[in-house]
Amino acid sequence: MSDRMLTMAEAVREAMSIAFDERPEVFLLGEDVGIYGGAFGVSGDMYHRYGAERVLDTPIAELGIVGAAVGAALSGMRPIVEIQFSDFTAQAMDQIANQAAKIHFMLGGALHVPMVLRTPQGSGTGAAAQHSQNLEPWFASVPGLKVVVPSNPADAKGLLLAAIDDPNPVIFLEHKLLYKIPGRDPVLEGSTRIPLGVSKVVREGKDLTIVATGIMVNKSWEVCEKLAAEGISITLIDPRTISPLDMNPVFESVEKTGRLMVVQEGPAQAGFINEVIAQLAGSSSFGSLIAPIKRLAGMNIPIPYAPQLEKAAVPQFDDIEAAAREIVKNWR
Amino acid sequence: MSMTMETGELINFHVAVGDHVKNGDVLFEVMTDKIDMEVEAPADGVIEALVANPGDVVEIGKPVLIMLTETEVMAFDFGTDNEPVAAVEVVAAPVVAPVVPVVVAAPVILNETVKAVPKARVEAANRGIDLRTVRATGPDRTIMMEDVNGAQLDPAIAKRQAANKALIAKGIEMTRGVAQASFTRSVKANFDHATFIAAWAKVLRNRPDLAVHQHVGVALIIESKYGSALPVFRDPDQANLAELTILVASITEAAKSGKVPVAMLSGATTTVFDLTSYSMSSATPLLFPNQVTSVTIGYESATTKIVSLTIDLNFCDFYDGALLLDALVASL
Repeated sequence: MSDRMLTMAEAVREAMSIAFDERPEVFLLGEDVGIYGGAFGVSGDMYHRYGAERVLDTPIAELGIVGAAVGAALSGMRPIVEIQFSDFTAQAMDQIANQAAKIHFMLGGALHVPMVLRTPQGSGTGAAAQHSQNLEPWFASVPGLKVVVPSNPADAKGLLLAAIDDPNPVIFLEHKLLYKIPGRDPVLEGSTRIPLGVSKVVREGKDLTIVATGIMVNKSWEVCEKLAAEGISITLIDPRTISPLDMNPVFESVEKTGRLMVVQEGPAQAGFINEVIAQLAGSSSFGSLIAPIKRLAGMNIPIPYAPQLEKAAVPQFDDIEAAAREIVKNWR
Repeated sequence: MSMTMETGELINFHVAVGDHVKNGDVLFEVMTDKIDMEVEAPADGVIEALVANPGDVVEIGKPVLIMLTETEVMAFDFGTDNEPVAAVEVVAAPVVAPVVPVVVAAPVILNETVKAVPKARVEAANRGIDLRTVRATGPDRTIMMEDVNGAQLDPAIAKRQAANKALIAKGIEMTRGVAQASFTRSVKANFDHATFIAAWAKVLRNRPDLAVHQHVGVALIIESKYGSALPVFRDPDQANLAELTILVASITEAAKSGKVPVAMLSGATTTVFDLTSYSMSSATPLLFPNQVTSVTIGYESATTKIVSLTIDLNFCDFYDGALLLDALVASL
């Protein structure tokens, strides 16, 4: 099985290759996705395997790239767009939010836009404020878009295949630090899907429920491992798809543990993870809480360039560990 | 009454102890700084006591007389302990002035100085514990589950419960001359009061043939050191369960201070009595005037409870009663 311990970049490439093999209407376009193999090496050798007609190198013009993809999707194709950094989606936002997300509804359901927009996000690479953001709340607040935030290679493969199948535009946000890291679980062979809109209970415990997204799932997992040795058992939930959001496992878990902590890398203010808190606070599971809800998120600042400050700006292992320990020890 | 008014002189009473009054009947006259004003009854009821004398200068907010609703009269007769304390205090305050609407039911936490985690409120409400008597050991003087778990019943409540328990155990039949039948089922103890009230209201709503009213009003008997209060939850099956949970918890707390909103003291069409905190398994639920059904919840084991139903055989037969109870049990 060890050969199936892929990195996220390899898993995403495998999913795209399977979709290419299964559907002739699937193609990839973006800056440097062809000959160069992608800024983070995700498309790799696909240009050589599938040719320039299906792996399109584009000019540096994000609005044009997404516009072309929307047009292709309306014409029966299934484009996969790669935007080099999620920060650059700002350039393409009219096509994403006003066209891709709305056309189905503006035309009374006559047409749909089966497009996947993949883009790396997140800090930790020393790329400073314009290349390090977590912009998932931009997309999650646009009805008509589905938003996927995979935390590991196995999920990334299954979710991407499901996203390509989906008739709606799907924004697929990959954390760049995860690209080179093998996951904990082997990536399944073949053409297997993970349905969108189903949260994953990563591990089960009785003392605390942690809901984390993206790379924070991995950091939280390590905290769960460490605290398990001290007798603190934690349920870790990865929503995987943040729009639509599946809250049922969160409700069920909080009813058992009575304690909730949420962790995201993006800034706390108006962040996606606040939606988890809001839905819990408005549910009948609220009455099960035996502790205030703890939120760990990025600071409300542009990501700094200096490595020490960059690290300090977002939750790290130590922060998650201290917060988890505090909530369990102090609220009984 | 002017906003600056701090006291009023009681001129005379229009009622005597034992009088039955209707909503809107004049109870007494008070001399304000501008005019003499007639104060009307905020609900139907019976005058229990006059606690001020004509000529007294009474502070705003202080009781002038004590009035019980019809169902409270019944409930008070349970006890041997005839402390004349009531849930409705008709006071010389602007809240009963004709130009100001009567206070309506709202999810107000009246003892706002008590901080408690949500589950502690629910637990305290279900077990008849006054949170103000519980020592807070949590952060920021917040009552935690540990505090509630170790809390004792208020001695005054315990005393009243002991008296009631002795009387109920004798199986007093309050509704003489009414043909009635009782049924009992064992159920899993995984519901709280809000869930139970909503489920029972829903069952009754599905039986319009049993309706003697246009709405479903569930009275919940709550013990306090002031006596038994019977706040009525109107159409709880149509409320949001999360909001209802908070409303039931907050009104239970309020009832323990003898301060149920006047608007919640009338309109009962059925009554629920939780005997769990008496460590009683079942009693023959007593039918109150103008009610066809009454339910008790009793202790059976750590994981199960006993639900008992009494029906008025003038309205339905044995078969109906069994069906009603089965429907209630099935929906818990």
